[in-house]
Amino acid sequence: MTPSKWRAASVAVLTVAIANMGMISAAQAGIVATSAIVRTDRDADLTSIRSHLERADVRAQMEKLGVDATVVDSRVAALSDSELHNMATQMQNAPAGGDGLLAVIGIVFVILLILELTGVINVFNRVHAAR
Amino acid sequence: MLVACVLLLGGCAARGPLILSPARLVELDDTPFFPQTAHQCGPAALATVLGASQINVTPAQLEPQVYLPGRRGSLQVEMQAAPRRYGRLSYRLQPELAAILAELDAGRPVLVLHNYGLPIWPRWHYAVVVGYDGNHDRMLLRSGKTRRQSLSAANFMRAWDNGGRWGLVLLRAGELPAVPDKQRYLEAAAAFERVAAPLDAWAAFDAAVKSWPEEPVALVGRGTASYASSNLQQAASDYRAALNIDPAQTGARNNLAMTLLESGCPQAAGREIQKIDLTGLAAVMAEAVSDTRKQIDAQSSAPEQAGCTAQ
Repeated sequence: MTPSKWRAASVAVLTVAIANMGMISAAQAGIVATSAIVRTDRDADLTSIRSHLERADVRAQMEKLGVDATVVDSRVAALSDSELHNMATQMQNAPAGGDGLLAVIGIVFVILLILELTGVINVFNRVHAAR
Repeated sequence: MLVACVLLLGGCAARGPLILSPARLVELDDTPFFPQTAHQCGPAALATVLGASQINVTPAQLEPQVYLPGRRGSLQVEMQAAPRRYGRLSYRLQPELAAILAELDAGRPVLVLHNYGLPIWPRWHYAVVVGYDGNHDRMLLRSGKTRRQSLSAANFMRAWDNGGRWGLVLLRAGELPAVPDKQRYLEAAAAFERVAAPLDAWAAFDAAVKSWPEEPVALVGRGTASYASSNLQQAASDYRAALNIDPAQTGARNNLAMTLLESGCPQAAGREIQKIDLTGLAAVMAEAVSDTRKQIDAQSSAPEQAGCTAQ
């Protein structure tokens, strides 16, 4: 097999395996989880169908964002279906709380510095040009 | 730029006090403090509220669970999910200052998301509200590297408004929020059920049953927790109670049938599952019901145990 075929085959196998993982946990005991009835049936249905696809997607996105592969599974497992959907669609641009205040102080300083520098240079240029 | 600054400053002038609860001082001084390092305000804030809830865990231990290196921060959704793994239920507060004050009155610190930037240039930051001073209209926080930050209520509200008024409290299994909202609580409990120990899930839904005795979803949740700890009789009784309130609660009937089957009552289980009409059911529910049917059919020739009909 060529490398690309290998890749396609392994992706297919993985996809089926991951999809089955979700199916088994939902259907194993034949018991309906409370999360499936806490919202209206239609909502639950949509989120549940989506979540099979999204679980794999969120895993991949997380690894791309630098999460250690060994903890990705447990992080994804802790998410409810609607949280999973939120992650799948907004992981790249949802608010990420970091060091908000420090960054604000830093950027204000930088802006002031730029204003100062550009202002000073312009003033001097004009003064020089006028002479 | 200067004009923008002046406008921003002007916005807070000439307003009455925001803390309208009886003017007094609440400060949860026992709340631990973990000064944040680099971009780690998420793990630090989470360790703070977990510590206040008697779960001793360090920001370094939480970092692999909530920090996203590529985003240099932690997302709300994961901040909300992580406490479940420590047996705590995450409850998202109603987006009102009064809800925060009520939780502080009840002795629980509140995890909040602040935005110190501008709408077009947001700077997100997690902090923990540990008290308020109604006499001076100020909020008290553990934030960043500051153990006791005192913010005017107006400044607090500006940063909280810009952050989408996101606030979270951690509840022990069986504990209700100060101002419980039924739907919020049930969704929180259902998310908790996924990862919680069955006894903890039972306690969480038991509190809901006591608070909203006419809510079938609370009964189903408690029943399913009993089922998960192999307490089949209690499970069946909760599912039946849910069906008494709402006979169309398919989840309850499906789970009742499974419970009866496992109790050695395949005939009774079959009678329950036959009552479910598959047409119009959500696909997920229909799938679960057909699965239950298959399992019952596979055991239909097994003898019915004594006591099945009496149930």
